[in-house]
Amino acid sequence: MIEQRFKCPNCQEIATFYGNPGETKVVTCAACNTKGRVIIPGEKQDNNVAIEVSHLKKVYDDLIAVNDISFTVKKGEIFAFLGPNGAGKTTTVEMIESIRTPTAGAIRLLGADTKTGFNQIKERISILPQEFHSFERFTVRETLTYFSKLYKKRANIDEILDAMDLQSHEKKLYRNLSGGLKQRVGVALSLVNDPEIVFLDEPTTGLDPKARREVWQVIANLRNKGKTVFLTTHYMEEAEHLADHIAIIHKGKIIAEGSLQELLTTYGEKTTLYIKNCHSEDARQLLEEKGFEAHSSGNGDIMVKIDYKEKVLEVLSELRHECIEYDGVDIRGSNLEEVFLRLTGARLTEEAET
Amino acid sequence: MLILLFGAIFSGMGESKYTLYVQDLDNTDMSHSLVTILNKTNVLNIKNVTKNDDITKYIKDNNIKNLIVIPEGYENDITRSFSDPSAKVNITYYFDPTETQTNQILRSVISSVLEGLNMQLTQGKTIIGLTEQSTVTENFGFIDFFIPGMIGFTIMQQSIYGSIERNTKFRKDGILRKLLTTPITRSEWILAKMLFMLFLAFISTSVAIGVGVLAFGIKVNINLLTIIIVIATSFLFSGIGMIIGRFVKEEETADMAAGAISFPMMFLAGTFFAVESMPSIIQIIARALPLYYVNEGLRNAMIYMNQTEALINGGIVLIFAAIFFIAGVILTKWKED
Repeated sequence: MIEQRFKCPNCQEIATFYGNPGETKVVTCAACNTKGRVIIPGEKQDNNVAIEVSHLKKVYDDLIAVNDISFTVKKGEIFAFLGPNGAGKTTTVEMIESIRTPTAGAIRLLGADTKTGFNQIKERISILPQEFHSFERFTVRETLTYFSKLYKKRANIDEILDAMDLQSHEKKLYRNLSGGLKQRVGVALSLVNDPEIVFLDEPTTGLDPKARREVWQVIANLRNKGKTVFLTTHYMEEAEHLADHIAIIHKGKIIAEGSLQELLTTYGEKTTLYIKNCHSEDARQLLEEKGFEAHSSGNGDIMVKIDYKEKVLEVLSELRHECIEYDGVDIRGSNLEEVFLRLTGARLTEEAET
Repeated sequence: MLILLFGAIFSGMGESKYTLYVQDLDNTDMSHSLVTILNKTNVLNIKNVTKNDDITKYIKDNNIKNLIVIPEGYENDITRSFSDPSAKVNITYYFDPTETQTNQILRSVISSVLEGLNMQLTQGKTIIGLTEQSTVTENFGFIDFFIPGMIGFTIMQQSIYGSIERNTKFRKDGILRKLLTTPITRSEWILAKMLFMLFLAFISTSVAIGVGVLAFGIKVNINLLTIIIVIATSFLFSGIGMIIGRFVKEEETADMAAGAISFPMMFLAGTFFAVESMPSIIQIIARALPLYYVNEGLRNAMIYMNQTEALINGGIVLIFAAIFFIAGVILTKWKED
């Protein structure tokens, strides 16, 4: 309940009443008895937020598929939603898209509550469902035209074909396209209404590396056009390559969230410097004496954990100073795969989530 | 299932008697004797038609398929034949030409009885003959019976298979999920599907009629009732398809589910054979099937021009259509659980 004041249009008296944001109340002026309807303003929205999920929950009988998750996606960013099979990724994204009904919680898309206002924002969003296949006997242009006619606001088909590099394929039947081209058409379909938010559910699953990189380019272009992209993916490198913000969901809960750098810093291991073929126990002891965490591997390498890559020169300078010989060095930094493995104890697989 | 069905139809399993209407205009001992002999064959269920009934009107009003008329003077003519070798008498057999199998059986039974009587009376000389006359004023053949049945069957197949397959395939391919997030509503989606089904129904009806007219020269009357039945049939079977589609998740099982519904209906509901030629238990089942009323309605409206019957059949089809289509719309899943 919030307090709201209003000025009576008849006698200019100020009155106070209480209500919920968005509620319409019939109020009576205490001074002149004039009655009128007043809409209590909604909570102040952050205009920079595209998607706002609060305390979202989905329960199937005994199974809690999504367990009280909350996150926000800013306008114009690529948000990657990562999780192993059965983690609740698709259930979450389908609740945001209003395909499934949440058991509890609230979702706001572009400021509108999806429970009551989803129909009003359909024009402003677009989705590419997981394993999407369009009508087989339509050409690429016909497919785009068909879906664009479902919207009042329509983007220029030629511009979409051009942006997606599909002009040379526009007369081909959808069923005759390669997997990569089909996915490109799928992403192109999600632009026919010039949406503000694009949901891409596993857009590169099953594609070969070349086709995957082509789709990445297309997704990156969406950000360049100012679209907000909600990307669900199994591929760590996809999230690393594209995402501005990453959320990792595991067993229905979000266990980590932030930019790639934030996740690596918070959850990743230190960078490891491999000193190759350095069969010297003295070298290991020397580095430990200098305050480095150093281990000998069974094959003659020495592994040194370092906080920053700048520390490499410091380590090598110590070795040189003591005239210790080695064949070369290798630096291995932490990555999202390691973070994910560390947080969930599981690797992501390419199998589609059900 | 099909073995049991065809076996029952062609072996006459469960069918002990065929109904034969008899109008005895002579009403003498000899004519009574003929009726008694026919009755004793244990194949016929004899039903008497009063002498005063106008036989043509009676046949039309009561949709009679098989009837014999014993003419006035039957006994006199037989008695006269003992002295006058040229004297003869003819029994008239009215039959429905579309029911070829029943006709063959009844014709054979009646001929055998008359042959026995001739043998008994004159040692083989034919004094009691049999003349045949169609129960319908025009001479309809099997093709006239078959074309409306094919139309009903084709619309049924298109609507059931189309509805189920489209639902399961579109769900599997993510098209339903995609559409759900577009401004299109569930009602608009169902309406669009129905318009497509109707388009297909009219195309297949036109093709069936075209083939019938051009290749076999059948006379078809396209009237409002025919169009209403075609539209109602499309809605009816699309509704059944939507109900099945609600419970079928995979494309592979969709085919089986559609076949399990449409195949038995196709054979049981008088698409290829008159229901009257089937065993009585199957006739009862047939009359509970919507396709039976579609077939009968189309035949009466398009071919036999029996508009009263067509109206009744059409009304029943409309009721079935309303029930199944509304149930289908209610059960059609748009959102996921």
